[in-house]
Amino acid sequence: MEFFVQQLVNGLTLGSVYALIALGYSMVYGILKLLNFAHGEVYMVGAFIGYGVLTMAGGAADPVLPAAVLVPLMFLAAMIGSGLLGVAIERFAYRPLRDAPRIAPLISAVGVSFFLQAAALLLFTARIRNYDTPELIPFSVGVEVGPLRISLVRILVIVTAVVLMVALTLLVSRTRLGKAMRATAYDREAAAMMGIDTDRVIAATFFIGSVLAGAAGVMIGLVFSRVFHFMGFLAGLKGFTAAVVGGIGNIPGAMVGGLLIGLAEAYAAAYLSSRFSELVVFTILIGVMLVRPSGLFGTPALQKV
Amino acid sequence: MLVLAVLALAAAGCGGEDDATTGDTGAATATTDAATTAAETPETPTEPTAGAEETTTGPTTEAEDTGDGQAAPADCDGLSVGIAGPFTGDAASIGQEQLNWARFALERFNADNGTNFALVEADTQLDPAQATTVAQQFVSNGDILAVVGPAGSQEAEAVGPIFEPDNLAYIGMSATRTSLTGGDYPTFFRVVPNDDAQGPTDATYMVDELGAQNVFIIDDQTSYSTGLADIVQPLLEEAGVTVTRDSVPQDQTDFSALVSRISDDTDIVFLPWQLAASAQLFSQQMEEQGKTATIFGSDGLFSPDDFSAEGAYVSSFAPDITALPEQAELVEAYTEQYGEFGTFGPPTYAATQVALTAVLAACEAGDVSREAVLEQVGDVTITDSILGAPLTFDANGDVEGAQFYIFRIEGGEYVLVE
Repeated sequence: MEFFVQQLVNGLTLGSVYALIALGYSMVYGILKLLNFAHGEVYMVGAFIGYGVLTMAGGAADPVLPAAVLVPLMFLAAMIGSGLLGVAIERFAYRPLRDAPRIAPLISAVGVSFFLQAAALLLFTARIRNYDTPELIPFSVGVEVGPLRISLVRILVIVTAVVLMVALTLLVSRTRLGKAMRATAYDREAAAMMGIDTDRVIAATFFIGSVLAGAAGVMIGLVFSRVFHFMGFLAGLKGFTAAVVGGIGNIPGAMVGGLLIGLAEAYAAAYLSSRFSELVVFTILIGVMLVRPSGLFGTPALQKV
Repeated sequence: MLVLAVLALAAAGCGGEDDATTGDTGAATATTDAATTAAETPETPTEPTAGAEETTTGPTTEAEDTGDGQAAPADCDGLSVGIAGPFTGDAASIGQEQLNWARFALERFNADNGTNFALVEADTQLDPAQATTVAQQFVSNGDILAVVGPAGSQEAEAVGPIFEPDNLAYIGMSATRTSLTGGDYPTFFRVVPNDDAQGPTDATYMVDELGAQNVFIIDDQTSYSTGLADIVQPLLEEAGVTVTRDSVPQDQTDFSALVSRISDDTDIVFLPWQLAASAQLFSQQMEEQGKTATIFGSDGLFSPDDFSAEGAYVSSFAPDITALPEQAELVEAYTEQYGEFGTFGPPTYAATQVALTAVLAACEAGDVSREAVLEQVGDVTITDSILGAPLTFDANGDVEGAQFYIFRIEGGEYVLVE
């Protein structure tokens, strides 16, 4: 039983990171019908910004700031940095192609993805960097529930992810910007006619999605330590899978999809073998696609007349 | 939409196919008269070669004119050696180090011998398919007389049949799978010992010195890793050790679930992996879950910068070259120019040295052909090899008298224990 619960914690950690990445894919798709393949790289950049802040503060072993200040600072810097990067990508790679055939921005997205990967390789070389989190917040610090150990870092990651997701939900459902985003997603032309500055709404969507990816990058750095130029590829793929499983374009769907993928991976590794974890993930994807082609929470696309 | 995703991924997969270089431009530079060419600045160390559309020549001979001034025969100009490695992709941290050491070896060789050989660099991304394309490009480039690499055993297997008809010698700097030198790949040589040496060394040490009772072996699904695990497992079982075996993809980012499967009576976790940073995470997650088993890693984990789990053991095909006084000058020169390095660089230096020495010898003997170079590689002797012992090849293409060393990590330092 404790083994089962331990996997629940592992799966939730992984799942909350996937969910944050999936949200960025889903929001952008919802509003532009564009698969932003550069999203994984935005997450990679977020992880590097977090690493940069950590290094500037003296590194994990000998930080000049207490962990309680440093970690929020890392999150803040990564989120803002990634957010601005997302806006820049939208402005220079997608907006000029707004009225081009749908394949054009998609190719542009793949190009941006390669560009960012190569840029990171150029700037940081291919060496795998290590957050060395245990030096900052020892993994042995945490909550013990009976025989179960949950480290503080994991609690931090899961709680931060939940807070961000709640904040996003409130933003989309309760604010003027959220209303404008929903309107733009529903029908961009009609929204523009109603006086909504759709370009600004789209930029804001990219900003918010990228902020979440930046946070996910720091989380991965904190829990799984390793940061390198190629990390965005697989994470982006998993986030994308999560978004599709949940129903792309649907915000609660992305959250559920992310958690589902994370849990599936953890349980497959624990009860079958690590070699099957990706098999299980993509089997779930195929299964969902067969039964509900629009995803768990997705609504079938309506043909606009 | 999924179709689009697949298309995009396929595009990503194909992206590297143009990466292999043709050495034409570089060769042209190399043939320029040394007396009229100013010494070139060596490539800056941080420059990656994602496109790899370049060749490197070291400082030209002008710098040496005031020295012993021995000039290579004129028809040696413009000859090159190919290097294939994973310069981008998942294993780029290994590939970049190998590339830098190959460039470093070329610069020093050219400076020492008054040659201006060039290096043709090609990216394989540790992918046999990519390596095949690269191999074909190497074969069709007449300037290339020998090849350093490719890095992975799976790639070395893929390129063998392409090199063989052209008698193109290729010298592995990290491919340790035993079967490579069994006769199927007659143009293959390697400067590192094979897993027939590593496996028994590791297994014996675990049983005799560490008193292993219960060992968990986790391979990383590469040809290198499964091969080594397959050698170690029966040796341990014969010695009465209980062995559990699992496997995890090399690009895995989280080992938590795997770590929780380590039973409490497991005393050693054997990780024949290629990425040291992954093992570091594995050890951190073991600590997180209160697992106390000792990690025993293979040569791939020898990387003091990336892997520092207290009390862990690592085997290596070379003594720590930073601890060898006779290599201090070399280590310092490299570090100054290119920065820190792990375990994959020095063998690449040795392999490049072998290739260049053979090309020069063939050239001095007046027979500049791949066949002649292949023969010369077999006869090369490097007396003061960077790997700590004289380097010669046996009839199979393996290094004579190769042995493995075992280190224990104590306070972040690698201490030689056997």
